Amino acid sequence: MAAEPLGSLLERRLVIVTGKGGTGKTTVAAALAVAAARAGRRVLVAETGRDEQLPRLLAPGSPPVGYAGREILPGVTAMRIDPFNALGEYLGLQLGVRSVVDFVLRNRGFRQLMSAAPGWRDLITLGKIWHVEQMTNGDGGPLYHLIIVDAPATGHGVTFLDVPHVVVSAVRTGPLRRNAERVEQMVVDTKRTLLLPVALAEELPTRETAELVERLRADVGITIDRAVVNGVFPAPFPEALSDLDERLAKLPDDAPRGELPRPSTLAACARYLRARFELNRSYVAEIGRLTGLPVVCLPYLTTGIQGPAEIAVLADALVEPPRAVTA
Amino acid sequence: MSAAEFADRTLMHPRIVVCVGCGGVGKTTIAAALGVEAARRGRRALVLTIDPARRLADALGLRSLGNEPQPIPRHVLARLGVPGDGGLAAMMLDMKRTFDDLVARFAESPEVRDRILSNAIYQHASDALAGSVEYSAMEKVYELYEGRNFDLIVVDTPPAQHALDFLEAPQRLLEFLDSRLVQMLIHPAFAAGRFGLRLFQRSTHRILQIVERVSGFGFLEDISEFLLAFEGMAGGFRERAHRVRSLLVGPEAAFVRVAGTGAESQRQAVDFLDRLEAFDVPLSGVLINRVRRWPEGGAPPESLTGGELRESDIAALATALGASEAPDFPAEAAARAAVAAATGYAALVQRDLRSTLALRTRARDRGRYWGQVPEFAGDIHDLAGLAHIADAIFHEGEPSLGEHAGP
Repeated sequence: MAAEPLGSLLERRLVIVTGKGGTGKTTVAAALAVAAARAGRRVLVAETGRDEQLPRLLAPGSPPVGYAGREILPGVTAMRIDPFNALGEYLGLQLGVRSVVDFVLRNRGFRQLMSAAPGWRDLITLGKIWHVEQMTNGDGGPLYHLIIVDAPATGHGVTFLDVPHVVVSAVRTGPLRRNAERVEQMVVDTKRTLLLPVALAEELPTRETAELVERLRADVGITIDRAVVNGVFPAPFPEALSDLDERLAKLPDDAPRGELPRPSTLAACARYLRARFELNRSYVAEIGRLTGLPVVCLPYLTTGIQGPAEIAVLADALVEPPRAVTA
Repeated sequence: MSAAEFADRTLMHPRIVVCVGCGGVGKTTIAAALGVEAARRGRRALVLTIDPARRLADALGLRSLGNEPQPIPRHVLARLGVPGDGGLAAMMLDMKRTFDDLVARFAESPEVRDRILSNAIYQHASDALAGSVEYSAMEKVYELYEGRNFDLIVVDTPPAQHALDFLEAPQRLLEFLDSRLVQMLIHPAFAAGRFGLRLFQRSTHRILQIVERVSGFGFLEDISEFLLAFEGMAGGFRERAHRVRSLLVGPEAAFVRVAGTGAESQRQAVDFLDRLEAFDVPLSGVLINRVRRWPEGGAPPESLTGGELRESDIAALATALGASEAPDFPAEAAARAAVAAATGYAALVQRDLRSTLALRTRARDRGRYWGQVPEFAGDIHDLAGLAHIADAIFHEGEPSLGEHAGP
């Protein structure tokens, strides 16, 4: 198995996995963590959603990892970055006095302000990631070689990665601006940080991925070197039999076949798999064409993503060389 | 509840039907199909979408983002079987513009309006201020409802990480604007003591000092100016938001919960339904979208889902397949590939039966209507496709729970 194609991902300190809700970002982040740990890296994988998914995917039955994080597999530490926890930690570092921090965090008005205020969640989350990236182990080496962030689902408006820039342009001076500057430098540093967009090979996710990549390139300036397309149906039949569904449809329904379903049913099954395969194939090409990125395809798994077994399969697929699909 | 009753409660009696669910489950498609069906039943329907797929937008005549309803031509509707008194229009919500319009309407004066619209933070953050997207959508819904040009407005809710944001966010926005801290930011003179510090608790003042120290000088000033934007508007906002809320929990509204088969866990799906009920919205039913169904109905035969396949059956199928082909046709390979495809598809059907069981069971236990929309092989990208979906929802009868769908 060639480790080389994964190289550019493993050389970075930070990989931000992003995409629309439902594309399987968390699954891809988990699979990348497994692949990197296999390659001997110390990995931190951080999720940012409300519900923890990583323990279920990587080590079913293990307790929640929380903000403190825990080594969930050999070489893989998982955590969930909760913005209010990160805010508490940040205020602690800034103010130094725990009682003042608690006073602020407990204040109802402050909580109301923070639950409606724009952007700070993204900024504080990125700030925490920066902080972890700076951490070293006893030997002076980095505490984690690779930090994988399962970013919040992209939606409308200012996204996760725009926020530092917005703060830098809107806030003139002070610690907030300094933090935003440091975070922005980390995000755009091509030697340290890579963005990994995750798409599905269907119409809407294809268009959204193209728009996302274009906007991130233009507004954020983060490095993107491949797209991951998740849930791709494989070719259902051998090449020479690519019209098998049509051949089956021509058989009379009373054709002898023992206990097998009738030919029209077999044809319907074959037609579905062929249609999904062809649809996926055309949108994989479209994603490559619209973004100009090489594409790594992860297979659709009939079993669904239940846990470590499926994550291991996807980790294998992730280290396949990305294919240029542009004509 | 039968499909006919579900149709009555969803399409015929309400004036507003709201489709809620997580991102990526096909809410927009379902909303559009509900609009088509309402039109076929003689209602003048409007589908209000947030972010439709390009080809669906084309099918609905939404090539240009107008923020105004675009009627679908009569001759197109006639082909779908829409009677003369029915109608269908669609519009794509331009959230930024709706919010700008709102600012313009409630601002005290043209000067205030211009100051708001040109404020740097407003420009960066008006679509990020938590709740403003959802608030804009609700605002537009209410405006269209008051306009009375449509019998039924079908609302496709904004994509959100948290699907109840549509209901919760406007309230949060108002609480935020009402909060003491914000009031103090808006009236820094109060804080300075000119009009008496006693108006505010001392602790609030202290919080602001700490925020200023941590965030840096000038930040609060910018925020304050931005919030000042909303000061004169808050009254209008509040009144509107309350009216919208009473509308949505009242007899003129219906909610349809749209779920997928894979994007969310069973636990999340059930949890969502419970929270929706706790909100007291008039939920008319649950639709599970993109379900793979066995072509003959029911569950796939056991021979394909774990039983033994007989070599003699495969040989028989190979003979049938080879009968009308050239002698070099690889009939046995074809038969094996056909059986493999059937086995593969049967596994998908089983998976969907399992992954939706908890939600179906909960909906049934609560006496809610639930229906399944089959997954079609290609994209749904025209009105005929939407009509097929509407047929699947309303004209196939309530599906059974599936005897073989054990967990």
